[in-house]
Amino acid sequence: MRTLDLRPVFLVVGLLLTLTALAMLVPAAVDFLAGNPDWQVFAASAGATFFLGAAIVLANRAGRIRPSLREVYLMTTGGWAAVAVAAALPFGFSGLEMSATDALFEAVSGITTTGATNIAEIERAPPGILVWRALLQWLGGAGVIVMAVVVLPVLRIGGMQIFRIEGAGPTEKVMPRAARTASAVALLYGALTAALAFALWLTGFAGFDAILHAMTTISTGGFSTAEASVGAFANPAAEGVILAGMVLGGMPFVLLLHMVRGHLGWAARDTQLRWYLGLLALAAAMMALWVWMGLDLPFLEALRQGAFVAVSSMTGTGFAVADYGEWRGLPIAAMFFLMLVGGCAGSTSAGVKVFRVHILLASARVQVARLLGAHAVLIPYYNRKPIPDAVADTVMGFLFVFALTFALLAMGLGLVGFDFLTAISGAASAIANAGPGLGQIVGPFSDYVGIPDAAKWLLMAGMLLGRLELFLVLVLFLPNFWRG
Amino acid sequence: MIDLRPVLFIVGWLLVALAAAMLPPAVVDLRDGHSDWLAFLAAGTVTGFTGLGMALGSRPGGKLRLGAREAFLVTVSIWLLGVAFGMLPFLFSGLGISVTDAFFESMSGLTTTGATVLANLDGMPRGLLLWRQLSHWLGGIGIIVMATALLPLLRIGGMQLFRLESSEKGEKMMPRVSQVAAAIVTIYVTFTALCAVLLWFAGLTPFDAICHAFSTISTGGFANYDASISRFGPAVQWIIIVFMALGGGTFLLYVSAFRRDRRTLFRDSQIRWYVAFLAFFGSLMAFWLWVVADWPAGEALRHAFFNVISIVTTTGFASDDYAAWGSFAPTVFFILTFIGGCTGSSAGGIKIFRYQVLFAMAGVHLRRLLHPNGVFVIDFNRQRISDTVVRSVLGFMVLYFFTFVVVSLALTLLGLNVVDSLSAAAACLGNVGPGLGTVGPAGNYAGLPAAAKWLLAFTMLLGRLELMTVLALLMPQFWRG
Repeated sequence: MRTLDLRPVFLVVGLLLTLTALAMLVPAAVDFLAGNPDWQVFAASAGATFFLGAAIVLANRAGRIRPSLREVYLMTTGGWAAVAVAAALPFGFSGLEMSATDALFEAVSGITTTGATNIAEIERAPPGILVWRALLQWLGGAGVIVMAVVVLPVLRIGGMQIFRIEGAGPTEKVMPRAARTASAVALLYGALTAALAFALWLTGFAGFDAILHAMTTISTGGFSTAEASVGAFANPAAEGVILAGMVLGGMPFVLLLHMVRGHLGWAARDTQLRWYLGLLALAAAMMALWVWMGLDLPFLEALRQGAFVAVSSMTGTGFAVADYGEWRGLPIAAMFFLMLVGGCAGSTSAGVKVFRVHILLASARVQVARLLGAHAVLIPYYNRKPIPDAVADTVMGFLFVFALTFALLAMGLGLVGFDFLTAISGAASAIANAGPGLGQIVGPFSDYVGIPDAAKWLLMAGMLLGRLELFLVLVLFLPNFWRG
Repeated sequence: MIDLRPVLFIVGWLLVALAAAMLPPAVVDLRDGHSDWLAFLAAGTVTGFTGLGMALGSRPGGKLRLGAREAFLVTVSIWLLGVAFGMLPFLFSGLGISVTDAFFESMSGLTTTGATVLANLDGMPRGLLLWRQLSHWLGGIGIIVMATALLPLLRIGGMQLFRLESSEKGEKMMPRVSQVAAAIVTIYVTFTALCAVLLWFAGLTPFDAICHAFSTISTGGFANYDASISRFGPAVQWIIIVFMALGGGTFLLYVSAFRRDRRTLFRDSQIRWYVAFLAFFGSLMAFWLWVVADWPAGEALRHAFFNVISIVTTTGFASDDYAAWGSFAPTVFFILTFIGGCTGSSAGGIKIFRYQVLFAMAGVHLRRLLHPNGVFVIDFNRQRISDTVVRSVLGFMVLYFFTFVVVSLALTLLGLNVVDSLSAAAACLGNVGPGLGTVGPAGNYAGLPAAAKWLLAFTMLLGRLELMTVLALLMPQFWRG
């Protein structure tokens, strides 16, 4: 094994820091225009981050970067962590007077598109902070899509290699190079955000709210500008737009790209997309039915609430429209499991992901069938192609590590004082990058303000692990990784 | 075609054995002067004659031969019919409970789950109490023999690792299944007797001692009192701790430890993981109770180990209402319901050896990320295991989690709240018994809707028969040609 060359790692981290610094100029400008003194905080943070980033880039310039596997792992995890720390600076030094833990929690929750907040009374936060939170989620979302297109299939994380063959598209050679796909996807991401913002503005949102909600919707992040989330605007048309935006955000962006290019039929045959939409429809229908019969709401109102909650949970967005303090049983359990399932691979949502659920069930079915006839050749299929054994194994391995991480995190949260429901839903919500959990403390209408610092650190770890598909982080803990 | 004759033959004889087991409770009730002895006699007669009829009517000519499909069918029908006939005493007795409750109680007994729908145990006739414990004890030995002799041959969820002939190569360790089974039954009876005598010395009445020995060694969890084990003193609780832990170990290893070498027991990697796991979580919980919850050290140690071992071995006794211990305990106990004891024991759950394989596999995946072309192998007990076994274990885990999700969602659909449904689904699938909330250690399953009881009863069966045995019957391929 080649010795670990840290130069490309630092180079990428430095570049990302520089980008973060540039992004900080946006809230600085907003605050400056609004006459809020926080613009200095953003400007100072931007300056510090930029100089640090630029210095790192300059010091580690290499001729041609050809990072080895280990360096790719290191730069991915290191990149996310470094950006999160830099992004915490404005929170820490702003007029909100957040502690270091709180600031970092907010930044990690933003950049991982989780959407768990520990800022109380968000309406009173200065506009710059609101912009920064939304921007973090939007950048985080873009980062995840690009990572899913460029990095993950090559690294074969949790069965993602299946998309390496698949990514080429119907004609096999639509876009041979990952970089070109990535930039096209990023462009699409930007275009969808603009379209959403425009639609929200048409429904009556103020321009500021429209842009911010568009950014946190398409990134399935879930930060809102109101304490009561989207419900505070009491605007059914806007809820419809956000609902559609969340559904889009949970779809594989490469597939969306093909749809935009007119390969609709090909996209419609995609197993993952069909399962995703099918599961969403099923969950929405069941929740609507429960709300309709259980709470005696008018049918359309029940459908609105049920569909919104189902989509918001499954895509890991975390917006809320109704107070489900009175919801019991089925919808709550369904929210919990939907969060864990998550959206599609290659989208901005996290969780186990729909394609894995499909592969898991297909392989488990084959396992049972194999019990009956030892000689029967039974093979599981995904997208009408046989699933290679290696992929099926990796996916099942992913499920085990996912369950294990979840269990450890839930126990850790229990240890620092969370009750049962709060602990398991908080853990699920963090790993799946959803945002709100269940119960009184971390539910959709409360925030993470009052929880102990230790819990915040645990949740941050969960968010990063979930965002980086667990294995990307865990591989760094192999003793072999650092040797040689 | 599936040949039903050997299936009916085996099931028939086992029903005759079940009928014979109904006699001791009848005798106890007769001595107590309780009219329920007639119920047991009637149930025994019905069961006995049905069993005899099945056995004699379908006696296969020549040698008894079971194909794979017949073996699946035998396994599932033994438990289903055993439960169906085992509920007769509950129905015929003076309890006046519904068929749903009787079926649930009988299923919970034979699957050694220990979830009960009967409240007011303290005032119950002794015959019924004995019958509940006997059903645990019979179910316990049934699953141990089955998991040692039959399931490895059927390749259920990686159990092929434990095929008798491959386990001890070259040493010819009692090749014949019937010999192994006889040895295991001997050990099982010895442990039960030892446990009963110790409990009796510790101050229990002989009846209570025998009953609780039955439900301890079978990791069942029925108790003769509503307050479970919390009404007994520390000495009794420590004895039960030890025997629950023994009941969750591989019985085949006890056989070889007694026959040949004590050290074989500690060379087995599953037993070592099992003991280490129990020690770790027991100490962790004890430490938490001592430091955070401010309990006296001795009590913290006893209650922590009692309840951790009770849940991991899927017994389900409670020495205290751990749901009221505060934040940490319920979450940990919920997660522990997914662990389970060793294979070849009466414990349910996913089981320790599967976790060993899963951990090893996860490690291989991680290392493969670093060395994409490396060759990695997974060892279990110093034996290389094949990809097929690993895949089989993985498939089992997936089915386990999936069943858990489906059952908990279905329970919420039937009107249970989230905590109740999640924990009841996990507790019944793992054959543990108590969950959290209404079905927690201080409660019971009496208040659940009837549909939920049926669903949970079948969940217990699924868990007991390692899921795949039952699911195989549901495949269309099973009934074809």
